[in-house]
Amino acid sequence: MMSYVADFIFMPLIAFVTGLGLVLMARRVRAKIERRVGPPVLQPIYDIVKLYAKKTQISHGIMHDLSIMMLLGGFITAEIFLPVPGFDGLAGEGDLITLIYIMMVPMLGLALGVGSCANPNGSIGISRALTAMLAYDIPFIIAVTGACMAYGTTNLIEIVQIQQAGGPASWGAATMPLLAFGGLLAVHGMMGKEPFEIYIAPAEIATGPMVEMSGKYMGALFIMQCFQLYTIGVIYTTLFLGGGENWPFFLAKVFAVVFISVAVTNVYGRFKTDTMIRWMWKWPTGIALAGLALVMAN
Amino acid sequence: MSLLLRRRFFWEEIDLMSLLDILLLVAALLASGLFVLGRGSFAGWLATVVYGLMLAVLAIAGLALDSGVAFIPSAMSFEILGRNLGWRLDGLGWFFALLTVGAAFFASWYGSGEWGRKQKRMGLQHALLALNVLAMLLLLSSGDLLSLFIGWELVSWAAFAIMTQGGGPAVAAAYRYMIYALAGAMAVFAAIMLVQNVTGGLGFADLQTAISAMSTAQVWVLFILFAAGFGVKMALMPFHLWQAPAYSETPGASSAFLNAVSARMGLFALILVLVKLTGLEALGSLAIPFTFMSAKSALMWVAAITMVVPTFIALMQTDARMLLTWHGIGQGGYMLLGVLVGTSLGTAGGLMHVFNYATYQAALFLAVTAVIHRAGTSDLDELGGLITRMPWTYVTLLMGIIGLAGLPPMNGFVSKWMIYKSLLDGGQPLLLIMAFAATLGTILSVYKLIHNIFLGQLRREHQHLKEAPVSMVLPMLILAGIGFVTGFMPGLALNITDIAQRAIGGDMLPHHLGGVTLATGSLNMLWVVGVLIGAIGAGALIFYLLGNRRYEVHQFDNYAGGHFLSADIRYHFSHEFYPGLARVIGPWYRGSIVRAEQGIGILVNVAGDLWQAVFRVAYTPLYMLLVVVLGLVFTGSWGIVP
Repeated sequence: MMSYVADFIFMPLIAFVTGLGLVLMARRVRAKIERRVGPPVLQPIYDIVKLYAKKTQISHGIMHDLSIMMLLGGFITAEIFLPVPGFDGLAGEGDLITLIYIMMVPMLGLALGVGSCANPNGSIGISRALTAMLAYDIPFIIAVTGACMAYGTTNLIEIVQIQQAGGPASWGAATMPLLAFGGLLAVHGMMGKEPFEIYIAPAEIATGPMVEMSGKYMGALFIMQCFQLYTIGVIYTTLFLGGGENWPFFLAKVFAVVFISVAVTNVYGRFKTDTMIRWMWKWPTGIALAGLALVMAN
Repeated sequence: MSLLLRRRFFWEEIDLMSLLDILLLVAALLASGLFVLGRGSFAGWLATVVYGLMLAVLAIAGLALDSGVAFIPSAMSFEILGRNLGWRLDGLGWFFALLTVGAAFFASWYGSGEWGRKQKRMGLQHALLALNVLAMLLLLSSGDLLSLFIGWELVSWAAFAIMTQGGGPAVAAAYRYMIYALAGAMAVFAAIMLVQNVTGGLGFADLQTAISAMSTAQVWVLFILFAAGFGVKMALMPFHLWQAPAYSETPGASSAFLNAVSARMGLFALILVLVKLTGLEALGSLAIPFTFMSAKSALMWVAAITMVVPTFIALMQTDARMLLTWHGIGQGGYMLLGVLVGTSLGTAGGLMHVFNYATYQAALFLAVTAVIHRAGTSDLDELGGLITRMPWTYVTLLMGIIGLAGLPPMNGFVSKWMIYKSLLDGGQPLLLIMAFAATLGTILSVYKLIHNIFLGQLRREHQHLKEAPVSMVLPMLILAGIGFVTGFMPGLALNITDIAQRAIGGDMLPHHLGGVTLATGSLNMLWVVGVLIGAIGAGALIFYLLGNRRYEVHQFDNYAGGHFLSADIRYHFSHEFYPGLARVIGPWYRGSIVRAEQGIGILVNVAGDLWQAVFRVAYTPLYMLLVVVLGLVFTGSWGIVP
C-alpha cells in the first residue's frame, strides 16, 4: 500500500520536475541557435508562479475550469501508468494501449475547455489541433503496433525487461530501426514543434487554442507542456531505447529524444495543416509501414 | 443468487408456460393492447412498466441460462408442410433480447412524457415499438432456419412501419430500407432453400450437415448469400447506404431504439449462422483461390472497411442525427471484427461492444432529440452554446461521445481495448491500425458534434431555452450512467456477455470486476478510472487552491480580432469544422457506392419498363415476328436434330 502511495506522489512529481528541465532545455537550445544567452535555470518555475499570481484570471464557465482539471488529471494519470526506474506504478494494471488512450483525455479536456470559451479563434485552433492529432497519430500507432508485434506484449514493464535483458543490441531502435525512425518523426509532430506547430501557433497567440487562457489557465497549460514533453520522451524511450536501467541513463535518454526534436526544429518554417497531414501520411507512415512489414516478415 | 435458483417459481409448476412463453405472450398482448389503447396518456407509462417486467423475466431467464441450462424452450410450435417450426431462447438470443427490451424500456419512458405529447400519433409509435420488440424476440428465439426467416421478415416489416412515422423524407428513406431488406431476405431465403435441397430439412443441425455434404463451390454460394443477406441489416459495406437516412428520420425515441438494437439483429444472425453453426474454422479453411485469404479473413476486411469508411463519412455530416447514425454503421464493424477474431478475448470484446454501443448510442440519440425538442433543429450549423441552457443534456452527450470515441473512463474504451488486443494477439496488425484510425476519426467527429451544439456562441434565439423535462433527462442520464458504471466495472457487463459466449461455444474469457488479466498485458479499469478520477481531483486542488482568484464572465462577453463581439454577430466556428483535413481527404469522397446504387436503380427501372411493355402494351407485329422466328427455329432444329 505504501509503495502505491509513493508511486502516486513521486511519479507525477518527478515527471513535473523533469518536464521543467525539458522546457528549459528547449528554450536554452533555441537561445544558443539564435545567439542569445537564454533564460536562467529557474525561469520555467518563475513563469508558472507569475501566471498563477496574475490578476486577470478569466473563467468562461464550469467547463472551462473543468477542462483545466481534466488536462492536469489526464497527464498525472498517464505518469502513474508509465514505468520508470524504481517505480513501476500501475503499469501492470493498464498497458500501452490504455496509456495512449489516457493521453487523449487531456487533449479532449483542452478541446472542450477552449470550445466553451466561445472564441472562434480558439475553436479554429482546436480544429487544427485535432486534425494534427489525426495526422501524427497514424504513423505513431503504426510504430506502436509494430513494436508490440515484435515484443509480443503490450505490457510496458515487460517491454522494458525484454530490451534490458539483451543490452543495447536488443533495443527497439536497433532491432527495428525503420519503426523507430517513423515513430521519431511522429513524435516530433506530437510535441508540436516546427514545422508542425500550426495548431499551437505560439507566435500569434490570438489565433490558437490559448486565446482565452489567462493567468492560471495559461499556467496549467504550461504545466501540461512539461508533462507532455516528459511523457512523450518516456514512451519513446520505453518502446525503442530500452527504458531506464537507472535514473542517470534514463534521464539522458529522455532528454536525448526531446533534444533531437528541439535541435532540428529551429531551422524549419511552418507547414499548413493540410501540408502537415500529407507529409505525415506520406513519410513517417510509409517508413513505419515498411518497418511493420519487416517485423511481420521476421 | 443460488437461493433464487433453488426456489421453484409458480410458472414452473405449469408445464405449458416457460419463461419464453410468458415473454412472447406479454409482448404480443402489449403490442395488440397498445394498438387499441395507445392514444391514452397512460399508454406510454403502462408500456414502460411492462418492459420493466419483461426485463425482470429476462433477468430470471438469465440466471437459469447462467446456471447451465442450454436454452429455454417455448410451448409454441407449428407444423407446416411436414416441417416443425419451433422457438427457443438460448444464451446468444437472450443477450440480444435483454438489450432489445432494455432499449425499448428507455425509449418508451422517454416517449411517455412531454416529448410524446408533442408527437402527432404517439399512440401508434408506442404500439409499433411494442411490435418491434415482439418481432425481435421472435427472431432472437428462433429454433430453426424457417422460424429464423419468419422472424427476419417480421423484424424488417416492423422496422419499416416505425420508420415511416416521421412522414415526408422518412417515408422515402424507409422505402429504400425496405428494398434493401427484401433483397437481403431473398438472399437469406435462397440460402435456406439451398440447405433444404441438400439435406431435406430446415433445422439448425441440417445446416451443419449440409455444409459438410456440400462441394466447396456450394459452400461459397451459401456463405455469400448468408453474409450478404444478414449483412444488409447490420449495414455492412457496400450494403450500408440505407441505414443513416432511415434511422435519422425516425422520430426521436423510436430512433434511439432502432439505433441501439435494430441493426444488431443482423449481427445476431451472422453470429448464429456463421460463427455458431458453421464455425470460424470452417470459414477459415474456405480459401479464396489464387490469394492467401479465406472467407473468414475476407469478412474481417469487410468489417474493417465498414469500420473506417462510414466513420469518415460521419465526419463530414452537418446534421447531428446523420452524424450519429453513420457512426452507428462504423461501430458495427468493430463488433463483427471482434467476433470474427474468434479468440475468447475477441468474442467477448465484440459482444461487450454490442452492449456498450446500445447504452451510449441510445443516450446520444435521446440527448440529440432533447436538443431538437427545445431548439427545433439538429442542424449542426444552426446551434451552439447550449451548455448553459441545457447542462444535463450536455453531460449526457459528453459521456456518450467519450464512450463512442472509446476513451477512458467510459465503457466504450473497454470493449474497444479488448478488440484491439485480440487483433494484436491474433497477429492482425493492419486490421488493428484500421481500428485505431477509425477511433481517431471518431474523436474528431464527436468533438465537432459537441462543439457545434453545446460549445461556442449561444444564438440569440436560444437565449431563453430551458433544460429538457425530467421525463426526458432522467432516462438518458441513467443510460449514460450505465455506460460509466460498466466502464468502471466492466466485469458487470462481461458477466452478461459470458452467457452469450457460452451459447456460441469456444473458450470462455476469464475476467474479474475490473477487467481482464492476460499474459501479454492486462487491463484493470478499477485502477484506471480510480486513478483518473483521483488525478482530476488533484487537478481540481491545484486549480482551486493555487493562484489568484478567477472571475467568471458572461457567455456573451467575447471578442475577436481586437473587437468586442455582440450577440448579433454570428461568430460560431461551426461550418466545415476541419477545413485542413477536408482539403486532403475531400477528394477521396467519390460516392462510388452511391453511384453504383443509382446505376442498379436505373437498370431495375429499365427492366421493369420493358417487362411492363410486354404485358401492358400490345406490339402485335412484334409478337407475330417473335412467334414466327421461334417457330422457324423450332422446326429448323427439329429437322436437323432427329
